[in-house]
Amino acid sequence: MKKNILLAVLLLGFQSAFAQKSLLGLDENNRYIYYQVVDRPGLAADSLGKLALGFVTSSFANKKEKSANDSSIKVRAYFETYSALAFAKHESGRITFELSIECRNNKYRYWITDFVFTPYERDRYGMFVPVVGKDVALENAKIKLDKKELEGYLDQTGTYCQDIGTRLKLYMQLDHHSKIKGSPDQSKKIVTKNW
Amino acid sequence: MKKIFLLLSLFIVAIMSAKAGSMPVDTGKVGTSDDPKDPPLILFGSVDTYWKDDFSGKANIPTSFGNEQNSVSIGFVDLGIKKKVGKAAFVGELSFGPRSDQSIPTSGYHIQNLYVSYDVTDKFNLSAGYMSTFIGYEVISPAANFNYSTSYLFTNGPFQNAGFKATYAFSDKVSLMAGVFNNYWNTYTSFVTHGAATTSGDVSTFGAQLFLNPAKGWTAYLNLATGPYSGTEFDLTTAYQITDAFKLGLNAADFSAPNNGGGFSGIALYPQVAVSKVVTFGLRGEYFTYKNGGGNVTAFTFTSNIKAGAITLIPEIRLDTKSAAFPTSFVDSNGASTNSATQFLIAAVYAF
Repeated sequence: MKKNILLAVLLLGFQSAFAQKSLLGLDENNRYIYYQVVDRPGLAADSLGKLALGFVTSSFANKKEKSANDSSIKVRAYFETYSALAFAKHESGRITFELSIECRNNKYRYWITDFVFTPYERDRYGMFVPVVGKDVALENAKIKLDKKELEGYLDQTGTYCQDIGTRLKLYMQLDHHSKIKGSPDQSKKIVTKNW
Repeated sequence: MKKIFLLLSLFIVAIMSAKAGSMPVDTGKVGTSDDPKDPPLILFGSVDTYWKDDFSGKANIPTSFGNEQNSVSIGFVDLGIKKKVGKAAFVGELSFGPRSDQSIPTSGYHIQNLYVSYDVTDKFNLSAGYMSTFIGYEVISPAANFNYSTSYLFTNGPFQNAGFKATYAFSDKVSLMAGVFNNYWNTYTSFVTHGAATTSGDVSTFGAQLFLNPAKGWTAYLNLATGPYSGTEFDLTTAYQITDAFKLGLNAADFSAPNNGGGFSGIALYPQVAVSKVVTFGLRGEYFTYKNGGGNVTAFTFTSNIKAGAITLIPEIRLDTKSAAFPTSFVDSNGASTNSATQFLIAAVYAF
């Protein structure tokens, strides 16, 4: 029995340690990609396009819009990676990526690709800033990063993409037209009169 | 049974550490406006140790840090924390050890950076406090320098400037900083000169920095610090990552002390070649001269950075040749005066 418990704990431990790298696939050009198709019944392509634009506008402070029309949008943005030390973490670099969202009637798809890693270095003010001229595509990063470091960044990229997908899905499901800005969510109102 | 629990505990700790390390952390740069994400409390720092041997058997070269002859010596332990919430941030960085003592003139104080900043807009930032100087190529922390020994330009220039500064980024390629700083360098309070008529110091040093990014991989900083007590220094600090493996840095400066009290000028070149993921070779070639006939010195430092995880090994050989008028005296192995000095140094810097 004790051995079984021990085995279960070990297996759980291994499972939780396994990374999110597997969330990323490779596209036709052997570039890392996170790709999803999501059904959204009841909304036309242009309505979904407006929602997608709203999501992108509110989600990425650092974005550079590359293209947009009624039913599709493409932006470039980045997220920061952190060093692998659990007890003292700091920014170790940034990964720039391209997010594309395309909408059709009742469904949309999105993909995140073109990941470029820029390492950070510590400056005199205690800030961690990009090292100029040291950008490298994640697909080629093994020539500049050691294996463990690269795996860590792929894990973080996979998890980040998954988080974007979750946020996007949630945003696309909301009824933004009925939501009055600044007013509390009526569905969360607690009635204290009856108890 | 105890052994199993011990092993299990160690395993869980290891797994948790690995998992924490691999988790992405929200950065503040990405998040919805309804759900803004702030970066976590950041801890950073370094420790360093070195061994140096001047070929004469005497400690000759007088530049900052790493001065102890034929001794396994320490630099400092440097501990910093920072946090940003919304638009407001702070940095606090403490240091302890000989490198700290030599870089902070005020005895008993251990602060390298202590400042607060606020992003008024995405392009406009205000900062106030005690900050590392904006002037020069080299810095106090060995984790942020390529060479372990330091240049004459660094040694003679400012280390810290306490004050208030505003930075405006016109674009990714151009920004301008301007600020007012305490009347003297390297003090966290304005300073009254001994015997001066006034009883208080003032915030009379003006500083400015123009940042340019003329081409991909090329950064340039044009710096000015000027004040009636601190003197006037013009400084150019630039670095160009010309190819994936080759980087060229340059620092040039001219300092005039107040009341025609002399000064210095100099130039240093920093070519560096990365030969692998973990090994980079570099040269620092410097010419430095004191004004008013104070002599000059030429220094060449060949340095390698060998990375092993968080540790960087820094072996370097340095050759300094000075004119007779240069105020520092070099001696040979017999104790006789000479105009050149050569030293070997190896340092290990652990940065986190």
